[in-house]
Amino acid sequence: MANKVFEEIRGITDPILEGISNGWVTLDAGEYTENATLEADVAIIGTGAGGGTTAEILAKAGLKVLLIEEGPLKSTNDFKMDERQAYKDLYQENAGRMNKDGSMSILQGRCVGGTTVINWTSSFRTPDQTLQYWGDKFSTKGVSKEEMAPWFAKMEERLNIAPWAFPANENNAVLSRGADALDIPWKVIPRNVAGCWNLGYCGTGCPTNAKQSMLVTTIPSAMDEGSQLLYSARAERIIMDDKKVTGIEVTALDKNYRPTGITVTVKATTVVLAAGGINGPAMMLRSKAPDPKGLVGKRTFFHPTIFSFASFEQEINPYYGAPQSIYSDHFQWDTVDGPVGYKLEVPPLHPGLTSVLLMGHGEAQFDELNKLPNLSSMIALLRDGFNEDSQGGSIELADDGSAIIDYPINDYLWEGVKRTHLSMSELQFAAGAKAVRPAHTEAKWETSWEDSKAAINKLDYSASRALVGSAHVMGGMTMGEDLDQCVVGSDGKYHYLDNLYVIDGSVFPTSIGANPQLSIYGMSCRLATGLAEKLTGKKLS
Amino acid sequence: MKTPLEQALPTTRRGFLQLGLMGTATLALGSTVATLTGCTSPLEQNSEYKFLKPNDREFFAALIPAVLNKSFPGDISHDAAMKITLLALDDLIYTLQYHNRSQMRQLFDALSFAPIRIAAGASWASWKDMSPKQIDDFLVGWRDSMIPQKRMGYVALSKLIGICWYAQPASFASTGYPGPPTKIPTPVAGKISVSSMSAENS
Repeated sequence: MANKVFEEIRGITDPILEGISNGWVTLDAGEYTENATLEADVAIIGTGAGGGTTAEILAKAGLKVLLIEEGPLKSTNDFKMDERQAYKDLYQENAGRMNKDGSMSILQGRCVGGTTVINWTSSFRTPDQTLQYWGDKFSTKGVSKEEMAPWFAKMEERLNIAPWAFPANENNAVLSRGADALDIPWKVIPRNVAGCWNLGYCGTGCPTNAKQSMLVTTIPSAMDEGSQLLYSARAERIIMDDKKVTGIEVTALDKNYRPTGITVTVKATTVVLAAGGINGPAMMLRSKAPDPKGLVGKRTFFHPTIFSFASFEQEINPYYGAPQSIYSDHFQWDTVDGPVGYKLEVPPLHPGLTSVLLMGHGEAQFDELNKLPNLSSMIALLRDGFNEDSQGGSIELADDGSAIIDYPINDYLWEGVKRTHLSMSELQFAAGAKAVRPAHTEAKWETSWEDSKAAINKLDYSASRALVGSAHVMGGMTMGEDLDQCVVGSDGKYHYLDNLYVIDGSVFPTSIGANPQLSIYGMSCRLATGLAEKLTGKKLS
Repeated sequence: MKTPLEQALPTTRRGFLQLGLMGTATLALGSTVATLTGCTSPLEQNSEYKFLKPNDREFFAALIPAVLNKSFPGDISHDAAMKITLLALDDLIYTLQYHNRSQMRQLFDALSFAPIRIAAGASWASWKDMSPKQIDDFLVGWRDSMIPQKRMGYVALSKLIGICWYAQPASFASTGYPGPPTKIPTPVAGKISVSSMSAENS
């Protein structure tokens, strides 16, 4: 058996525990025994890439900020690289969030720091073509390449974003090697890390504080400025009086994410919604917020993500090393709005998650998992939202008020899924794979590119046959000046309420066409700076 | 292999969709009937399980070895492996939001009811009396079904069992995963977690 990447990790500080020890105000709503009211200048719903970035900027501008988070407060000491703990503590629905028809599983964070705590650190600026498309089709202002560049640069510096300087792990090297063999261009992925140990456990919460997630950067900085953090607290609905939000009704949750029966009312002069493209629109729908064109929760996008597995003679150890370090956009921009384009990357393969991705059972699945050290996988992220046949999903409410994600994979996307299986299979064989199997319940392991191509061409592409995943939630609160399509202005203000701002990935009019965290940071930095200037009357940039 | 239900299917795409919806209705109906007729057992008092009733556990106890094959019970005893997998399943489902949890409840209640088991392509026999071949036939039947809800059920059940087992250190020897490094937390003011710290502060 292969050796461990490291036997032991010790001597790492815990910035959250130290902050609490130094007097931060962190409030566990689950421990409240009676209803309570909290007040702030600005209440921010959500503590991920959008909420974290916004909190730091507003707090540093001198505003009294209250952060509200549905998930628990977990910190460095809790991050033990253990799948059992991590999915329950840090992911929506224990990493099992699904769309309505079960055809797509969605990985999204649920903890203080949001998805930034569990993402794989890939950090790309929003592609120029995407920014151009928003301006052209949605009349979104202030988002041209030139206007956005300084905001991206600012957040790249804040979060130490730079191309990964170490050699790619074997799993990622499969992509670059295959691409070289086929003369396909590839590049090194920029990552938001400082002093990364190259362990491979970004997805279970960074155990060394290297990942520059919101949990160890902007949130501590906002807390140092006197912000307050209310966690295990689900923003149930906003309370409105005419065109003003007067408060937020918050449901306290226990350690099992069940309501305790306690309600916390938050009063704030300004409210920022930063709960992501699923829970944000759901909260707006529960609140019956004004939405004359019925656009809230429409145009939700996911980068539907397709998997292909490859088996190698040599050890890949796909669970160790920086999970994502190589990508190719070769199949991404043939056209902006034609057949769906896609980005090629690699996922880390830890055994629990891998068993899910392999979608099988019995002896056949045992034979695959039994050779985990020699397994590699590639992923393709479909760039949804750029074509009339890709209008995204919509958020609906279940009886209990929770979000249902209606996002069927249609024929436009299935056509793309099949193309990704073909290109990933060819790349994996070109990199020296001895056998390849696309993640599809009908697919068998094939030992040559020719056989694999023939087999893929015979597969039935339909729900719960081909594996479709997602780790990127975007859209649902479209930003732009065209009121027939948009609910949020180019300054982040909700079009139909005076003091509600939406600052997160839900404002994107389409998917990004790249892992979205830096797009969210850059956009949030722009919107939050504008909001801080408006609220304080001071020039900040 | 097609189930009797599928053989009766119209072959147009529209027909599949209609039957797909009916499939859901059947499951829901089965679940109601099973509950009303007392075919499902209640959760025992003082049980260490929070969601899985004896019937559900019997169902999973039958499915677990079929799904996990030779990786199960790993390097521990059969009973110990079964227990940690069932407890992991229980904890996972219990902490889902109400909507998803109630869908699971419907599915399990329906599959504990023999007439629904037959309609769903499984055996009349109770889960604990089915042979490994009968269980595998059921799984393959759902996996390869023309009815989207059955395929969704297959994926959901195999995923649940997979993630609850393969995340356990007892399974690592069977996959060759060397496991994560050991994390030694650094206490702050004598505390190692936020929960221990905030309990003291409050």
